[in-house]
Amino acid sequence: MKPPEAKERRRGGVEKHAGPLSCAVGLVVLIGLYAIRQPLILSPFGLASLANVSVALALAAVGQTLVLLTAGLDLSIGAEITLINCFAATTMGSSALSVASVVVASLVIGLALGAFNGLVVAYGRIEPLIGTFCTSFIFAGSALIILPRPGGSVPDGFAAALTGNWGPLPFSLVLLAAAVLLVWVPVFGSRLGRYITAIGDDPESARISGLPVRRVALASYMLAGLFSAIAALFLAAETTSGDPSIGGIYTLNSLAAAVLGGVSLMGGRGTVMGPILGSFVLSIILNALGVFNVSAFWQDFIEGLILMLVLGLGGFRVLRAASWLAVLRQ
Amino acid sequence: MSRAIDPAVRATRMPLAARLSPDQRRVLLSYLILLAVYAGCVAVNREFLSWGTMRLQLVQATFIGIIAIGQTCAVLIGQIDLSVPWTITLSAILGTNLAALYGQQWVAFAVVGAIGLAVGLVNAFGVFALRVHSLIWTLAVNLLLQGITLLYSNAAAPTTHVPPIARFLALGNPAGLPMAFLVWVFCSALAILALSLLPFGRQVYAIGNRPAAALLSGVRLGRIHAIVFVVSALGAAFVGLLLSGYSSQAYLGMGNEYLLPPIAAVVIGGTRLSGGEGGYVGSIAGALVVVLLQAMLVTLAVSEGAREVIFGTILLALCFLFLRRAR
Repeated sequence: MKPPEAKERRRGGVEKHAGPLSCAVGLVVLIGLYAIRQPLILSPFGLASLANVSVALALAAVGQTLVLLTAGLDLSIGAEITLINCFAATTMGSSALSVASVVVASLVIGLALGAFNGLVVAYGRIEPLIGTFCTSFIFAGSALIILPRPGGSVPDGFAAALTGNWGPLPFSLVLLAAAVLLVWVPVFGSRLGRYITAIGDDPESARISGLPVRRVALASYMLAGLFSAIAALFLAAETTSGDPSIGGIYTLNSLAAAVLGGVSLMGGRGTVMGPILGSFVLSIILNALGVFNVSAFWQDFIEGLILMLVLGLGGFRVLRAASWLAVLRQ
Repeated sequence: MSRAIDPAVRATRMPLAARLSPDQRRVLLSYLILLAVYAGCVAVNREFLSWGTMRLQLVQATFIGIIAIGQTCAVLIGQIDLSVPWTITLSAILGTNLAALYGQQWVAFAVVGAIGLAVGLVNAFGVFALRVHSLIWTLAVNLLLQGITLLYSNAAAPTTHVPPIARFLALGNPAGLPMAFLVWVFCSALAILALSLLPFGRQVYAIGNRPAAALLSGVRLGRIHAIVFVVSALGAAFVGLLLSGYSSQAYLGMGNEYLLPPIAAVVIGGTRLSGGEGGYVGSIAGALVVVLLQAMLVTLAVSEGAREVIFGTILLALCFLFLRRAR
């Protein structure tokens, strides 16, 4: 007999990976179904196109997850993406030097926008929901000032470097992997990562234990801004232009993808693979509907239904609980 | 501590702010914000002193205010309802279409009732029975409703057969007062009474403060969740009907402007997003603040982008000055 704590811990481990695992299974099934209908999807070009429609959302969802882990919420991710996308598309020029400097500037702006959110929420002590809602107006408005209607351009070389493919390996996946390896992995290998999870798990104990709650929250919003910036640059490459309404859908979809991938909205629980796989599932479903000649009118209906089903399935474990009191105390 | 002081002494010696409970203080604060914003509006444009302009603002505030009733209740029990936009649109399109089809005005109200009940129960089922976070569940429901609306309307041209009663409720002007405002006053009175006098209100606050304690004291959690979400969906569906009367048509996306302003109104009104504290009296001021801010920015001759930046900045400043979390 194992002691009950070990059993408990094992169940916790399974639950932690339930989201990513079910998303991975769903992804394989989806691609299988897709391939039956359209075998070309398994060609290098097909895989690259699937990756390309999913990577921007995956980047946004990873950023959102960083904030969700601290029990925060970032409703300004879409506006951040829009602002940086417009900035990059209007200033990039065509020389290698200007492209490089605009890329660096975009990443810095992403960090700065995130820092602004962090200051508002962590130091200004405003609820994340309403605080990032306010900043989203400021960011989206600034984007409209920079670029009132779709326009601007990015050089072809920049676009090809992010959206092309090398054999079966799409560059967009390399970008996503690089972002995770260069940002997420070091962060969660360090004390900062442990603090992020600890604060999300129980903010009050974290504060009492002397963790730098505010600085950690600030850092999580900054990192979310950084991921938004990468997503914005990728979108600029994908559309080879800027669009002041491009980011709108990413705020709520990033939230949906994170939740699909098993990230808790209450903080403290989540992995990096979950939101990435969740984004791929969500994006590919939407993309497949178009390919299968499903009327665009069905898209929202089906996306909403899938979300409700997946979220609802997660809720059925509640039915196993001994009583409502046990459920409420979780 | 203040309990120990003799009330008579307290009333005479202490300043006004200290004599009020924290709840009352926050309501007072929201009305002070309203005064400040109104003063700002008048400073920017003298038009805001005229009854004609203010009447328009009252009608606009009615839409946000009625949605804010359900949203206030939802926030009070620690939840939120993000399915409002497409509840509005679906109810407006379905209501006007069916009313025109059957040639009966009451059909539109039946549609409002049916949609409110159905959407509210689905929301409550997911949030309460399945324990999904309301932020994401109601969002999924919103998406589903968007899909249903698109499928139903098949992206048809806007309906222009609006029942006359909807037009009267939104645009009527009995005794010089906008009818919509009278409707709002009536709904507000009901909401304030329900929250402050009925057992329902006490149970809502109990759930918001500590759900487990509420359960142990015999509060029927499921029933209260259902009522709250049905009230919210009913309000949204009714506003859909009002909006179709207001613009004499029902069109896709007409509810999209009504997702976050009512939530901003609730927050400015002093209701805590964590639940259990606040009430609808403040939300009324909040709705007026949001509407006045939007109207003031329209009168400024600036680009749309600059307008959004200013709106966000002012809202942020208000939150920063008045709504900071404890600690």
